[in-house]
Amino acid sequence: MAANGNTNYYDLYRHGSLGSTLTDALDDLIGAERMDPQLAMKVLMQFDRVITEALNEKVKARLTFKGSLDTYRFCDEVWTFLIKNVTFKMDGGQSVVTADKVKIVSCSAKRSDEK
Amino acid sequence: MSNNTVGTVYEHIINEVINAVRVDFEENGVDDSVLEELKKGWQHKLSQLNVAQFPWDPKPEAPPPAQAQQSTSAAVNAQAAAVAQQQQPTPNYTQSTVSPQTAAQPLSMPGGQPNGNGVAIKNEPGMANESAIKQEPGTMQPMMHPAYPGNNAARGGMAAQRAAQAIASRYGSQAQASINAIHQQTQQPQIPGQAPQQQQQQQLNPQQQYQQNMAAQMQQQRMAQQPGQLGQQQQQQPPNQQNGLGGAQVDGPSDGFDGVLMRRDADGNPVEMGRVEIDNLLHAKLLERAKEREGGGLMLPRAAARGAGANQLDGNDEDDDEFDEDAINSDLDDPEDERDDDDEEDEASGWIMLCLYDKVQRVKNKWKCTLKDGVLTVNGKEYVFHKANGEYEW
Repeated sequence: MAANGNTNYYDLYRHGSLGSTLTDALDDLIGAERMDPQLAMKVLMQFDRVITEALNEKVKARLTFKGSLDTYRFCDEVWTFLIKNVTFKMDGGQSVVTADKVKIVSCSAKRSDEK
Repeated sequence: MSNNTVGTVYEHIINEVINAVRVDFEENGVDDSVLEELKKGWQHKLSQLNVAQFPWDPKPEAPPPAQAQQSTSAAVNAQAAAVAQQQQPTPNYTQSTVSPQTAAQPLSMPGGQPNGNGVAIKNEPGMANESAIKQEPGTMQPMMHPAYPGNNAARGGMAAQRAAQAIASRYGSQAQASINAIHQQTQQPQIPGQAPQQQQQQQLNPQQQYQQNMAAQMQQQRMAQQPGQLGQQQQQQPPNQQNGLGGAQVDGPSDGFDGVLMRRDADGNPVEMGRVEIDNLLHAKLLERAKEREGGGLMLPRAAARGAGANQLDGNDEDDDEFDEDAINSDLDDPEDERDDDDEEDEASGWIMLCLYDKVQRVKNKWKCTLKDGVLTVNGKEYVFHKANGEYEW
């Protein structure tokens, strides 16, 4: 979860669906020897930058959620929460999504702003 | 925040990434088609996750032509048709890659089911024979073997019946375990000409082997007992012959038997061991060897090389546990380890929110946190948010 040495962007989002599918697609091409791993690393680093900027600039949605905290952890500037019986309210409370549990992995926003 | 914006945001991200790395691809001399393939593969994999509706998916592409048809402009229709034609390759791409798999399965299933049924029906008599022969090795074979002498008694035109017997016996031999099969194959030539006594002897063989399998140690004991008995007899003879020479004098051959049958008592005098004692000694030795084999052959090749024994496995585990405990240095960490496993499951099943935090506050057991720039995957759907406020109690 640490920031990338060269770019100061977290590789946090690589664990999401967008990042994991990109990693899979890159793996396929590397496995077929269509490209080398170093180039794939550059792609992933670009992905770290692009998704951070896109979430910051393109997304305006707000979200509130409540639940009962099961586990919390703060290590290396990374908060990890495991929340059970969560209720997410989005679009100003118009749509509600509930879940038995959700894991939150959160890196410091300040560090990414330093750049 | 809604699921609908995810598609456009993700498309934007994909295009940005692809454009950003285009220079890197050119510098590495990688063809542009590879980049396009990467984009296609990325989008395809993302569509398979079905976490949101994406612009490149077939479903959201359906509405734009419908909207275009509502508009009366022919130019718009032509554009829409052109767009649809341009967009068709991508749905075809996804459909052609997805649908053959789904179509192939129904096709193969009807074809496979009759075959499977046929095999199952063919197997059933075989299974029945197997079970009949396997379950009753002691009872069925005596039933069958008396039939052979009967056939031998009435020998006129036996060829067909022998063939039938051979088939039946071979069928049985296929069904039986390899050991029994060998015995049956040896029986076949012997049966026509030879007396039922050998059959009985051979019938005993499976039982003996069964006993061997069940109590190999017992039989080894018996084998060991036989030399032991011989040794006793031989060893009883020398004292009879050598009484006049004194019990202390032992000649060469007797020395060899002493190792088996004699032990020194506290005074150093040889004392003859009884059969029970010898048996117990042998039994203990055999048990030790059996344990060594179990440990070395099945469980622990390395541990067996070191010295064998299932106890070493326990020992290693204990060492590992102790090492872990020392490393973590707290008993409280154990339940947290279990929770870590839960977390990994959560991550695998996709109940996860990846984001940045602005503030995390806690007052007693009440937590408040301000999160931003997050991606939330929950209930199989993906959401993105710019800002999130969470309140939860511990």
